[in-house]
Amino acid sequence: MRQFLAIVTSLVLAGGLAAPAPADAQAKADIVIGVQCDRTGATQIVGTVLCPGFHDYIALVNSKGGVEGHKIKALEIDHEYKVPPAVESYERHKKEGAVTMAVYGTPQIYALAAKLTEDRIPGTSPGFGSAAAADGIKYPYIFPIAATYWSQGAAAVDFVKKQMGGNMKGKKIAFIFYDNPAGREPIEVMESLAAKEGFQLKIFAVPPPGVEMGAQVLDIAQRYRADFIIAHLFGGAPAVSIKELKRVGYPLNKVVSFVWGSAEVNIEAAGGFPAAEGYYTMQFAGVGSDFPVLNEIREMYKKEGKPAPKEMASTVYYNRGVLIAALHVEAIRNALKAKPSGKITGVDTKAGFEKISNFTLGGLVPPLKITPTDHEGGGLVQIWQVKGGKFERVTDWYSAYPDVVAKHIKAAK
Amino acid sequence: MPDELGFFFLLMSNGVLIGLMYSLIALGFVLVYKATDAVNFAQGEFVMIAGLAVALAMSAAGAPLWVAITVGLAGMIAFGFGLERVVLRPLIGRPVIAVVMATIGLASVLRGVGPTFFGAGTKTLPLPISDAPFVIGPLFIPPIQLLGAAVSVVFLSGFGWFFLWSRKGIAMRAVADNQQVAMAMGINVERYFGLAWAMTGMVSALGGIIWGNLLGVDINLSLVGFKVFPVVILGGLDSIPGAIVGGLIVGIVENIAAGYVDPYVGGGTKDFAPYVLMILALMIRPYGIFGKKLIERV
Amino acid sequence: MIQRECGVLKTSYEADMALYPLPIARWTVAVLAVIFFLLIPLTLHEYYLSVANLVWIAVIGALGLNILVGYTGQVSIGHGAFMSVGAYTAANLATRLDSPWPVNLLAGGLMAAAVGAVVGIPSLRIKGLYLAIATLAGQLIIEWTINHVTFISGGVQASIAVPRPRLGSMVLSSQRDMYYFLLVFVVIAIVGTMNLVRSRVGRAFIAIRDQDIAAEIIGIDIFRYKLLAFAISSFYAGVTGVLYTYFLGIANYEQFQIGVSIDYLAMIIVGGLGSVLGSIFGAIFITLLPIVIRIGMESFGSVFFNPQTVLNLIPNLRLMVFGALIIFFLVVEPDGLNRLWRNIRNYFRIWPFAY
Repeated sequence: MRQFLAIVTSLVLAGGLAAPAPADAQAKADIVIGVQCDRTGATQIVGTVLCPGFHDYIALVNSKGGVEGHKIKALEIDHEYKVPPAVESYERHKKEGAVTMAVYGTPQIYALAAKLTEDRIPGTSPGFGSAAAADGIKYPYIFPIAATYWSQGAAAVDFVKKQMGGNMKGKKIAFIFYDNPAGREPIEVMESLAAKEGFQLKIFAVPPPGVEMGAQVLDIAQRYRADFIIAHLFGGAPAVSIKELKRVGYPLNKVVSFVWGSAEVNIEAAGGFPAAEGYYTMQFAGVGSDFPVLNEIREMYKKEGKPAPKEMASTVYYNRGVLIAALHVEAIRNALKAKPSGKITGVDTKAGFEKISNFTLGGLVPPLKITPTDHEGGGLVQIWQVKGGKFERVTDWYSAYPDVVAKHIKAAK
Repeated sequence: MPDELGFFFLLMSNGVLIGLMYSLIALGFVLVYKATDAVNFAQGEFVMIAGLAVALAMSAAGAPLWVAITVGLAGMIAFGFGLERVVLRPLIGRPVIAVVMATIGLASVLRGVGPTFFGAGTKTLPLPISDAPFVIGPLFIPPIQLLGAAVSVVFLSGFGWFFLWSRKGIAMRAVADNQQVAMAMGINVERYFGLAWAMTGMVSALGGIIWGNLLGVDINLSLVGFKVFPVVILGGLDSIPGAIVGGLIVGIVENIAAGYVDPYVGGGTKDFAPYVLMILALMIRPYGIFGKKLIERV
Repeated sequence: MIQRECGVLKTSYEADMALYPLPIARWTVAVLAVIFFLLIPLTLHEYYLSVANLVWIAVIGALGLNILVGYTGQVSIGHGAFMSVGAYTAANLATRLDSPWPVNLLAGGLMAAAVGAVVGIPSLRIKGLYLAIATLAGQLIIEWTINHVTFISGGVQASIAVPRPRLGSMVLSSQRDMYYFLLVFVVIAIVGTMNLVRSRVGRAFIAIRDQDIAAEIIGIDIFRYKLLAFAISSFYAGVTGVLYTYFLGIANYEQFQIGVSIDYLAMIIVGGLGSVLGSIFGAIFITLLPIVIRIGMESFGSVFFNPQTVLNLIPNLRLMVFGALIIFFLVVEPDGLNRLWRNIRNYFRIWPFAY
């Protein structure tokens, strides 16, 4: 029995290793994007909705004939928000000939930064770290393509300032954050702004996994008595924070959350939209189902006789997936226009990214302008509030304190 | 009442209530260890699966609360029996690391099963209690914590009585003490093992309901399982009063660390302060405050 | 096979206790050397070499953990933390002092050994499960320290980029270069471990595992040897961490969290506690498992499910299979892959006879 098992095990392993690699479909010159996702790890609440958005947009593009006649192949690998599988998936994607990489996760982009630059393949890190990578000269192959944590911090402070009538002197701001590198990244910018605007900033760390923060919330609400809370939490922590704040009676309309605590799933996990009334959220992609590209995706599913996927209802993260995919496709389109032969490499798509401007996809994408020096595109965000059972837009696309952020980018190693 | 003192009482009350809720989860661990000498590293995942089952019953099937709770309890009891039969019976008599790794493997399986069959999104587990806190002087007491603490105390006392005074409880203690003699006395050892795991399942269901309401039911719920270790080590692996004491200590220490130590060191001490305390306690009393001393024979 | 042990006669104790007493064993090692040093790196694509590199790193770590858990019987869930100690020591030395990689490697290993010995101090008073949980506490404390002490972590991001190792004028950057680099250390680690367990120290470890009270009575200083076991095992872990950092080009504590510690425990359990070959098998198996599952699901999964479900299923399936395999090995074959291999080997050793 045991020998039988041994033989079977070794056969399975051998079969796995010897599995023929998917054929390099050079016949039709498919263009490959390497996609990373987290569907089972700490941020699965995001990945299980964001990545389908990415794939749906790619399917839509392919259904219209692809980009300049080339079909796009988005290869996804789940890395459970861990670094070693991310590195392994990067190598796998490289082997398949990926010309751009949609990286997912702050530790992952840090780990892959050196490799991406060495191998000259552009990698995107929308809405997460590293903020210093907005500098296109120092980090030629890293593209934040959306507001980094520094820009989000500046935008949050600006929003709070407007909420307080334009003057923050002497006010008490609490910054509650997830205690990992991604969570700590905005702190230095917030401290600069505290010095500049004259408000008092106190930081409250929530250790991972962020499911228990009773003491921190009590401190913020009862001891420190913050005038406004800026929250930077991930995964399940935003929902817990909303519940805890309600439990101590803190008004939710004095809370603004960074981009990863701002989705329908977070609100629903906190007890639903009525329970979270007043909560302010920051978005880097348009919210809601009312965009032309989303209608087109629904049409595409209808033509195939399938209902629209349930992930579309979770518009915040789904739309972000669409945004990321759209920007990758635009970069590829720019690259193909510059090299009509169709044989593009990472160097071409890098140049393609740096040409993106005025691409708004009907309002879903902010009016970014990515240049060879600015890989972030302007750091634009919108603020939406939970009101009357749904998200309501409070501001238009804006970015704040660009000089402060630029100073930090310059000073970063 | 001066602000600082008020804050201190607030932290203490929060610590006591949360600590009792930790004791509820630790109870599941202690039950299994007391009856079968098996260490359950998957306690958090049990709570998660129980919470998922109840949440799913309520949301998908639209069942009323008491039906969903019954379904959850029954399901977890059956799960406990089944688990013992399939996975744990073959491992009787093996060294500690075997059972530990088996439960770690089980934890991994449950973490995969949860999102696959129940979906990855966070589900809510609404209970008919209001969210607004009771305000007593400077103290804010959320009703759910009070309920959790009450359930915890009731069940801990209940099981304490069970082990001390009821026939089945005494039989279980006999089995834990010396299996062969218990068998010689006519006690069906295997049936009691199954019963022990079923009881753990039931307690996990309770924990899943309470904690699921507090935190929302998703994969992160399994992480409360990590809190169990300092609680049971401080209190003694097989002691039920130890679970209460250990839970209280851990809850209070966590809150004191978060309130008073965190601001000086930049945060995050809350999670490992109980572990530091645990190591110090272990150096003085290796078997925990109430634990049974292990007599080794060469 | 039948001729394996015939005609092999030794005339001195040293010859009998040599690492490879049988001539056929030397031939086997030579063939394996050819395969691993020449055949594989020269024929396989870079992607497969990167997977092989991950396996080599895991082998060194698994060997270290097996010394502690398999040979000395002390369960430790803190292996990941020791790796991170080694990694950050090396990274800090490399970026602050610009020291060459041999110095970093040695420093990382020694620092991890020192920390490991400190974490092992509770083993004086506590054993078994309690010790395991104390090491878990050590893991959490070390993680927190690295996360928060910016002197060690190099700033808020807690990531330190390290320059590639240089060999004279050559910079090792491709996967193939890395392969050779790592293979050298793997060989050193394997031979070192094999010699360690045959030596006096190794026998003391085994005595502590089997009957520690009796061992103490016959004069083995068990506290000293337990600390030594922790230190040696952590040295291996530190070296693993440093090599991993050089492989990735960056040191980041999030790579060394508790999941990693559990992965390594799984490797030695599946591979076989208390055996060098078992550590190697276990490391290969557990490292390749997620890749095999993914390839399998990608090739065959679309037959049963639509693509989105497949993508959602792959990672969950990995968790389930991982857990199920651990349970399976514990229930069916508690001595792991090593025992399976020995059974096959013994069968062929006396083939075509039955006994």
